[in-house]
Amino acid sequence: MRISEPYYPTSTAEILTLIRANPEIQILAGGTEIVGSQTTRALEFPAQVASIAKVQELRKTIRTEQFIELGCCTTLTGLLSLTPGTLPDPLPEIIDSIANHAIRNVATIGGNLCCRSRFMDLWPYLACMDAQVELKTPSGTRWASVSHLCGEEGKPSFPRMALLSRVRIPLYSYNFIFHRKLGLGQFPGRETASFVCIANIERGKIEDFRLAFAGVQAFRLKDREMSIAGKKTSSASKEVQAIIDDYMSAFESQDWFDRRLFLSLLEEAFERLFS
Amino acid sequence: MIIDLNVNGEPKHLQARSGDRLVDVLRDELSLSSLLPDCLSGKCGRCFIFMDGRLVLSCLVPAFKAKGSTIQSYEAFKDMPDVKEIILAMEKAEALPCAFCRTGKIMAILDLLGRSPLPEEKEILKQLDMVACSCTDPVSLVKAVGMAAEMRNKRKFNRADK
Repeated sequence: MRISEPYYPTSTAEILTLIRANPEIQILAGGTEIVGSQTTRALEFPAQVASIAKVQELRKTIRTEQFIELGCCTTLTGLLSLTPGTLPDPLPEIIDSIANHAIRNVATIGGNLCCRSRFMDLWPYLACMDAQVELKTPSGTRWASVSHLCGEEGKPSFPRMALLSRVRIPLYSYNFIFHRKLGLGQFPGRETASFVCIANIERGKIEDFRLAFAGVQAFRLKDREMSIAGKKTSSASKEVQAIIDDYMSAFESQDWFDRRLFLSLLEEAFERLFS
Repeated sequence: MIIDLNVNGEPKHLQARSGDRLVDVLRDELSLSSLLPDCLSGKCGRCFIFMDGRLVLSCLVPAFKAKGSTIQSYEAFKDMPDVKEIILAMEKAEALPCAFCRTGKIMAILDLLGRSPLPEEKEILKQLDMVACSCTDPVSLVKAVGMAAEMRNKRKFNRADK
């Protein structure tokens, strides 16, 4: 379906008015995901589209000692251009691995999290960090964890008639970081996924542990994470193998990605963690 | 629909259809021949423009999204010393790209030198990787970018150190 006339709202209030009037409206910030998935000369959009890239209030960045709050229209290049050390590791590395510089100049943090067909590269890390998103609807505003953008079956789930307006990332740093991106190409496909494992280790003991893997679906076991916290990094290899087996049996029940690749990442992460 | 924007320093009112890509509108309406809509998926790097000062692939931008933007294509830079130096450095390093990717590579180098006056080899290779053409030896291209950076720095800051 070809669009009629796009809307150019200039404020969040205007965007919400548009959403109330047209619940199916496509909100477009960078538009790289929608446009990048089409190779026909004429682009196809839903019947109603609102271009929000130039809404100034959605481009603001606020930094406190505890977190950094980013407007959803902040471009990925904009994020990378923040003073070195502003973003917690490995966020700059993850952003740098997304597409190429010219695409990152247009792609936004909001677009990366709002993708309805799959999880993009930022989701696993931000979920592990317990980042929050501000969701504005015509009936009100609420903050929710990035994890809530994942439905019960591990598929993307974005609330209807909502605008993801801000992203709040805690500036807490972990002293164990393991991140790998699988798959090639500027735009993600079925073979693309991101693996993030972060932990805090104090005097040989794992104080906090998070692990997320996401591509067309997301995989995270919060109860296992709780059980790993408190273990010593010198734990017996038998115990570590039991954790890996646990993860693998849960992963195999989902069956959305090559289990051997996931296993190799898991083994590498745990080998580094328990060494 | 009519899209008001500024292209290469001049205000323009372009006629576009809702599903048009920016590259097609700029090429068809303004005859900007440096833009070649080839892959339409951001892989070939033949449609670089600067949009509000940032390098973007115009095939990945819906035309309507450019409303109110400032666009600069290769045509805006071709007579500027920055581009002349890049071409001279390419000639000296024997790294002249083919007609297919020439403007794409020059635009990519222009962007890189604007952000990073003394780029490292890794940065150069990553930047040039955006242009999918293997006509030029990467080692010579890296050398050319280094030479262009020196010329640019000498002209701008009266120094050529690295």
